[in-house]
Amino acid sequence: MKRTYLGEFEELVLLTVAVLEGEAYGVVLLHELIAQTGRSLRLNQVHSALQRLEDKGMLSSEMGEPTAERGGRRKRLFKVTAFGLRTLEEIQQIRSSLWNRFSNPKTDPSL
Amino acid sequence: MKPKLPQPPRWAEHLLEWFCAPHLLEEIQGDLYERFQRQVKLFGARSARKQYAWAVLSFIRPFALKRKPNPHSSTSSFHPAMLRNHFTIAWRNLARNKVSALINLTGLTLGISACLVIGVITGFELSYDTFHPDSERIYRLVGTVKFNKAAEQQAIGFAPRAVPQALRNETSGFEVVATFHNMESGVVVPKGQAEPLVFKARNMEGDPAQIILADPQYFDIFQYQWLAGNPQTALNAPHQVVLSEKKARIYFGNLPLASILGKELIYRDSIRTTVTGIVADWKHNSDFTFTDFISSATIPASFLKREINLDEWTDIWSASQTFVKLNKGSNEAKAQTELTAFGKKHFGPNRGTGEFLFAPGLQPLSDLHFNPVYMDNYTRKAHLPTLYGLIGIAVFILLIAAINFINLSTAQSLRRSREVGVRKVLGSKRSNLIWQFMSETLILTFLAMLMALLLAKPILHTFRSFIPTGVQFSFFNPNILLFLLGIALITVFLAGFYPSWVLSAFRPAIALKGTGSSRGQQRGYLRKGLIIFQFTVSLVFIIATLIVGRQLSFIRNKDLGFSTDVVVTINTPRDNKSAVLAQKLRQISGIEQVSMQWSAPLSDWYMLTKITFQDEKPIDIEASTKVGDEHYLPLYQLNLLAGRNIMPSDTLKEFVVNETFVKNLGFKKPAEILGKLANLNGRNYPIVGVVQDFHENSLHAMIKPTIIAYIPDMAKDLAVKLPTKGKNLTDLGPMLADLQKNWREVYPNEAFNYTFLDDSIEKLYAKEQKTAQLVNTASAIAILISCLGLLGLATFTAEQRTKEIGVRKVMGASIASIVALLSTDFICLIVIAIVISSPIAWWGMNQWLNGFAYHVAIEWWVFALAGVIAIGIAMLTVSFQSIKAALRNPTESLKSE
Repeated sequence: MKRTYLGEFEELVLLTVAVLEGEAYGVVLLHELIAQTGRSLRLNQVHSALQRLEDKGMLSSEMGEPTAERGGRRKRLFKVTAFGLRTLEEIQQIRSSLWNRFSNPKTDPSL
Repeated sequence: MKPKLPQPPRWAEHLLEWFCAPHLLEEIQGDLYERFQRQVKLFGARSARKQYAWAVLSFIRPFALKRKPNPHSSTSSFHPAMLRNHFTIAWRNLARNKVSALINLTGLTLGISACLVIGVITGFELSYDTFHPDSERIYRLVGTVKFNKAAEQQAIGFAPRAVPQALRNETSGFEVVATFHNMESGVVVPKGQAEPLVFKARNMEGDPAQIILADPQYFDIFQYQWLAGNPQTALNAPHQVVLSEKKARIYFGNLPLASILGKELIYRDSIRTTVTGIVADWKHNSDFTFTDFISSATIPASFLKREINLDEWTDIWSASQTFVKLNKGSNEAKAQTELTAFGKKHFGPNRGTGEFLFAPGLQPLSDLHFNPVYMDNYTRKAHLPTLYGLIGIAVFILLIAAINFINLSTAQSLRRSREVGVRKVLGSKRSNLIWQFMSETLILTFLAMLMALLLAKPILHTFRSFIPTGVQFSFFNPNILLFLLGIALITVFLAGFYPSWVLSAFRPAIALKGTGSSRGQQRGYLRKGLIIFQFTVSLVFIIATLIVGRQLSFIRNKDLGFSTDVVVTINTPRDNKSAVLAQKLRQISGIEQVSMQWSAPLSDWYMLTKITFQDEKPIDIEASTKVGDEHYLPLYQLNLLAGRNIMPSDTLKEFVVNETFVKNLGFKKPAEILGKLANLNGRNYPIVGVVQDFHENSLHAMIKPTIIAYIPDMAKDLAVKLPTKGKNLTDLGPMLADLQKNWREVYPNEAFNYTFLDDSIEKLYAKEQKTAQLVNTASAIAILISCLGLLGLATFTAEQRTKEIGVRKVMGASIASIVALLSTDFICLIVIAIVISSPIAWWGMNQWLNGFAYHVAIEWWVFALAGVIAIGIAMLTVSFQSIKAALRNPTESLKSE
């Protein structure tokens, strides 16, 4: 297989992790995603997507320092790997090439 | 101090900790907590808690549940290399501890054999008549009957002979009503010009019932496969007979089935029947063992109509059986309602049937083999309490064997703690270790299972008197193998689980240091508890053995109130020629007495009659009735208290009664009743004598008011008192031959059957004798296995304490004190077991003894004796080892360190 495919939600999560630049972990991601997309999301969905992305090798993670606001627990901070970044770029390229070919972005009146 | 922050619900946190994979737990908990605190600020604590719980629940997803694989994975227990290793270690271990291996193997073999044999018997009994199509709709017509006002209400397994036809006409709830009548008869097979084949009537004691007069509907209820003949017409006309295939082969040899149709068979010397059908024999166990089905239309068309009155409403006969099949969708309650109405209509004081009352009822087919209340002439009843007792015994014996295993293996666990330590260090998980130790149990149990398979046949053979005929055992019966496998697995689990749990719990660091397990103390208690349990069971069996034995010897030695010495009873064909035979026998020199009678003072035949005592006010009394002539009293040496014996006579003239009869009527002295009149069947007879009470029924029942009377029509059987004391057959041989010679002269065509009275009385207690045999065997096995276990433990303890004993001896301990030291522990346990078992045994035996109207008292010394026996056997077992240990030279035991 040449490349691992990404689901739409996974792509969003991956992109958000990239945007947050090393400060990404569960709750922050959840809030950011809700703010950006306006969807109603649950924490388990975010965790599950993060888990999948890490399994696919597009994210890497390490444990941070324990903080009081988390009841003395550490957070797991996520970073996009090179492979993740390349995947995002590839998706972007495919999209833009398609958008370029789509010359008349209006609805076909005959439909 | 900071105010306490609101906290998420604890249960949700625990739940999360429980299900969440450990490598994800911390971040998820942290995220949830962070979000919770935020929600508290935004929406308040209540809402936040709810949200938190909800969020936790939503994490129950595969990704959160899935555990990360252990990077240092251990080899699976089922890897061939591991299996081989387990097997090798198990084998070495068994070989090293030969004594305990042997003890365990013996115990488990006995336990599994007991389960196997008892399982085979139980399975056999439970399989009776379970194969009939629609069997849940098949019932036997039974009921309760009251012959007259004074009589007791009795449950009976049959109905008056007119009932079935009336049911067909008047009720709608039954799809089929079928009657059959058991018939006992010899069979003649005519062979044209050649000598006919003659078959004798069955022996009522042993052979299954074979001949019935059946309605055609019989075959609508019980399905047979027809091999020849037309099922629609085969039993419709008089003088037709349907045979089972096997029976047809017996009568006609290897003729083709079709050509057997139309052949003639003669029953009861003159009922000539034609074979109209042949059915295949059932291959399953059934109480319906019939092989000759004569059409019931034969009854009105032959002399049988005098014997079997199909219009009779006011009497009942066990030979006439009625089966019904309920309509589809009907149930027992609905049918019972209809039957009750039917009974009310036909039976009652004003319904023309006089005082005779019959209340019809239904007995499910599945109950037929087990319910002893409904007697009949063909079913062989299985005694359910005995079956349950058997199952209980099997379970307890297996438990005792499993306990031996548990005790011996936990006791020896210290020896293996190093092995466990090393295995754990090398990466064994607890589950692997449990599997390893279970597999050791499995090997032992498997060996025991094979032994049990080999032993089953000899055991069945040894106990054949106890085992119902027809029980089959074959190695390759899949049901038996499956059952055995099930037992083996249960045993493996019972015996193996706890020891493997304990062994696998050792902590490697402690185990390898050699200090053993930290939980030794606890295990000691469990072991003691299990020993107490073993001996409680054994003691209950010992006490039962003693009490059953005492009751049996009480039965044997009880003065019955009459003499049974060398009395032979002879059943005659009940015709007038029996008087001739009696006369002939009286002339044989040496024969002391011959009495014409209906039954001996005590036999399994029993008759209750309504007597009306003619006082100022007539008093109805239900009396047990014995029929005999003037020789009856002297022959049985019944003791006259007042009055005189019956005078020789040709008709019924007078009564002799027993003491209870006198007492029940309120007389103080026996002599007071002499000359008073008693009414039987409308006529008055004087009471001329009173005899001392004698047991006219088995010791299960109280002595009833009894009359002895000479009723010539009934007194057709003979009792003969032979001269010799004791009954050595060689001494009596010529005498019996003489009897037979005279019998032949009177009855040339009948077989000469005689029984010794004490034999037939002994037979009344056959069930009790089987019980005795059973508890004897059970207690022997239980004691054997328990003591084997004790022996193993004693050996082990003595070995463990070798050094201690050595030191004690050096310090001057005597051999006696060391033996006492090693034995006291065990003796204490047995004393506790005595305390626990006594009330249990007392209760159980009290239940059993209450089945007898006359029984021994349960005395305290029985328990003491049982205790002494148990302690004695245990002491013998233990002291063998402890004396050996005590005699050892301390220099030997102390020299190596």
